[in-house]
Amino acid sequence: MTLGVNAESSTTLRRRARSLPGWVAIVAVAAVVAAPVAVIIASILEPTAEVWQELWDTRLPGMIRDTVTLLVVVVVGSTIIGTGLAWLVTAYRFPGRRVLGWALVAPLAMPGYVLGFVWLDTLQGPLGARSVRSIWLCAAVLTMAFYPYVYLLARAAFRDQSAASIAVARSLGCTPWQAWWRVTLPMARPSIAAGAALVAMEVLTDVGTVRLFNVSTIADGVLRVWFGTGNRNAAAELATLLIGAAVLLIAAERLLRGRARYTQGGRRQTVVPRSSGFGSTIAASVVGWSVVAIAVVVPLVRLIRWVGEARATGQAVAMEGDLGHHLVASLQVAGFATVTCVLIGVTLAWLARRRGPVGQIVARLATLGYAVPGPVVAVGVVIALAAVDRWGWVPGGALLVGSMAGLIYALTVRFLAVSYQGVEASLAKVPPNVIAGARTLGARPWRVATRIELPLIRTGLLAASALVAIDAMKELPITLLLRPFGTDTLAVWVWRATSESFWVQAAVPSLAIVALGMIPVAILLWALERGAEVTT
Amino acid sequence: MMHERSPHRRLTRIVAVTLALGTVAAACGGSDDDSTAATPAPTAAPTDDVEATGEIADEAPTTEAPAPTTEAPAPTTGAPAASGTVTVYIGRQYGIEPVFDSFTAATGIEVRFTSGGDPELRERLIAEGENTPADVVLTADAANAELAAGAGALAAIESDALTSAIPEELRSPDNMWFGLSRRARVVIYSTERVTEPPLTYAAVGDPQWQGRVCLRPSTHPYTQSLVASIIAAEGQERATEIVSSWVANDPLYINSDTDIYKAVAAGECDIAIANTYYLGRLQLEDPDFPVAIQFPEQDGRGAHVNISAGAVTANAPNPEAAKVLLEWLATDGQQEFVDANSEYPADPTVPTSDLVAAWGDFTADTGVIRQLGELNPTAVEVLSAAGYE
Repeated sequence: MTLGVNAESSTTLRRRARSLPGWVAIVAVAAVVAAPVAVIIASILEPTAEVWQELWDTRLPGMIRDTVTLLVVVVVGSTIIGTGLAWLVTAYRFPGRRVLGWALVAPLAMPGYVLGFVWLDTLQGPLGARSVRSIWLCAAVLTMAFYPYVYLLARAAFRDQSAASIAVARSLGCTPWQAWWRVTLPMARPSIAAGAALVAMEVLTDVGTVRLFNVSTIADGVLRVWFGTGNRNAAAELATLLIGAAVLLIAAERLLRGRARYTQGGRRQTVVPRSSGFGSTIAASVVGWSVVAIAVVVPLVRLIRWVGEARATGQAVAMEGDLGHHLVASLQVAGFATVTCVLIGVTLAWLARRRGPVGQIVARLATLGYAVPGPVVAVGVVIALAAVDRWGWVPGGALLVGSMAGLIYALTVRFLAVSYQGVEASLAKVPPNVIAGARTLGARPWRVATRIELPLIRTGLLAASALVAIDAMKELPITLLLRPFGTDTLAVWVWRATSESFWVQAAVPSLAIVALGMIPVAILLWALERGAEVTT
Repeated sequence: MMHERSPHRRLTRIVAVTLALGTVAAACGGSDDDSTAATPAPTAAPTDDVEATGEIADEAPTTEAPAPTTEAPAPTTGAPAASGTVTVYIGRQYGIEPVFDSFTAATGIEVRFTSGGDPELRERLIAEGENTPADVVLTADAANAELAAGAGALAAIESDALTSAIPEELRSPDNMWFGLSRRARVVIYSTERVTEPPLTYAAVGDPQWQGRVCLRPSTHPYTQSLVASIIAAEGQERATEIVSSWVANDPLYINSDTDIYKAVAAGECDIAIANTYYLGRLQLEDPDFPVAIQFPEQDGRGAHVNISAGAVTANAPNPEAAKVLLEWLATDGQQEFVDANSEYPADPTVPTSDLVAAWGDFTADTGVIRQLGELNPTAVEVLSAAGYE
């Protein structure tokens, strides 16, 4: 390298010099966001062999078994349900199709733990308290909570697909089923894989729902070790195991996506939904609406009845006074988190795009927090921020731990992946020749970004913002641990009630979370519809 | 839940409307002098009291509170050097707001609190170190207080009021934490299906209870402390045998004492191990709730008793107010604090509520309380080794 410098042409040097600030920026941003995760991972430098031995002899095999079982069942279930329903509402015309298409996204607004406690209590009567606490029911609940990730992405992929490819397949002698299996599905595979990867991360890091059903996953084990024995190191090592699993999953997803370059040239002819026969109409409606019923309608009805009960006993009256306060807190936290995640996501994705594979990897490192359970991120953030506080680096003597800034930082560490993924995917769709053209015409990168790229990815940005907002609104463990005084979100209220099994008292805030979550869900739907218009 | 008194809350709402302002206010929320910083403008109503006591604080910097029981209700006469706001991390979730309201009414000291799981709050406190905003920690069990003390996060409290009100075995030897209420973890049984409930914790593992037992998962501190007490009394080996015999009865694990009571009532199980005060809540709703308490180990060491502990943090921004809060909870506020949740008083001279008294007198295993923290990791090990969920 040192030898080569002299030989390099002046233009290369100039280009390199110009890109240096970019490198500094990307590394700095990534380092700040990855710091809490790095603090956790650093613990493996001091291995605690005896704890591992004990864990291996006792709980670890069970944890791995439960985690893998849950992962496989929920990912496969979500993929089948999400993909199937996406195809159903894309390719077939039946009464109520449009409404069903929207309603299937609604479970996004329903936190897994709310879905969990509602179904736990509902099925406890008929099934008995013992059989209701099973890994299978837990998997079913998580599938209902997470399939919309696959559904959304698969639906967009199906809609953007060219009907011509299917027609060609048919003309070459494929049956409709074969055409779907061999043409339609493979072309949507990258999107489906991206959705499945999101589901996998959510399953790996869930700690609220699994505990309701007595399922002890690795994420649960991290908390067990940490908070039960106070052994931060051993817990962090266990968390590193999770991060490792997540890195493998991301790599697998990349592999699935990597080889696939399914571009569709020429004028696009989208799939036109065709009418189905009477029998299939009934079948489609029944399947689609059953999912909506299980994931949304029944839980909502149940929650509303609980609110009625709470009012009858006078419990709700006192609580409703607090509703405004909690709503504002939820909005505030979700709002700040969304803005921060999207700003950093755009910056990172934009910088990384110009810096090849190394840049991509650096940016990806910043998104690892998505693979770390919330409570672990929270404690990683406390450790990192407490160090900053101790050195007194913040002007004015303000402290980061327990501040809104600290909370938003932690939520960004956890959810940056969601916005980054969305922004990166949108940026990738901007044709490189358009940018090259603009550059040739003398536009500087900043101008290209503001005049060409940003306008083009506007819809994608909106969708990414909505996803982060939904996640931040539902988030519990980080908010619980790091919220500043005066900031009690709706999720915290739900926790307070459910930690004492006061389901009835949890109904008001749960409903409020769902109602509030419907706003970003609506934005998301609008963005997707718009996205479809733009591309067609 | 984090609680600002109502004027603050109103203010927070106004502040929140302008999001930017909101960040500023909240960002200051963690700073040392945040009682005023968190809410940009001082609020009208409580300010007078605060300032009144504030002046007295200047006159008497670190009084050793000679007769604390009399000072609390009269903040203008010989009150300790305390004023402003006391910040509390609290691991108890039930019915604390009215108690804090009474405290503020009695002393003029505002209470801010943030609630969460005991272990999570402990880890936060340890990580915050010298910059913690917390003055007081109120835990739901002894082990977490002792673990926090072991990590250097607590300060010793010199208080005659506390040492005279709280019996020796309910506080740490070095005065790091004080038990403010006692909570008994007992055998409970269905009054409809069980006539002879187990008389010891070990008897819960008797094969006759195969498939009839409900227990709380090992993730919960209550379970860990119970097992720690068994280890202290009977040794690790025997404790492992006992826990294994519970596991052999294929217990139904339910992560909520309330739900455990309900499961016994509903016939999901016939016996269980749970804390008594949950029965208090259920009996308030339904006096004929078909579950009864059997205090175990009455011919021996006594029923397992844990405490709700109070402690002052090592780096408390307002240690004087912290001490006043703990003293008040141990003395003038003791009855209200304990009755708010149907617990047993820490101060033996304070009577139990009628509801609680109806469950009967019992021998309590209080000697072990100081050891619960130290034995906690061993208890977690025993639970794991026995395959307890």
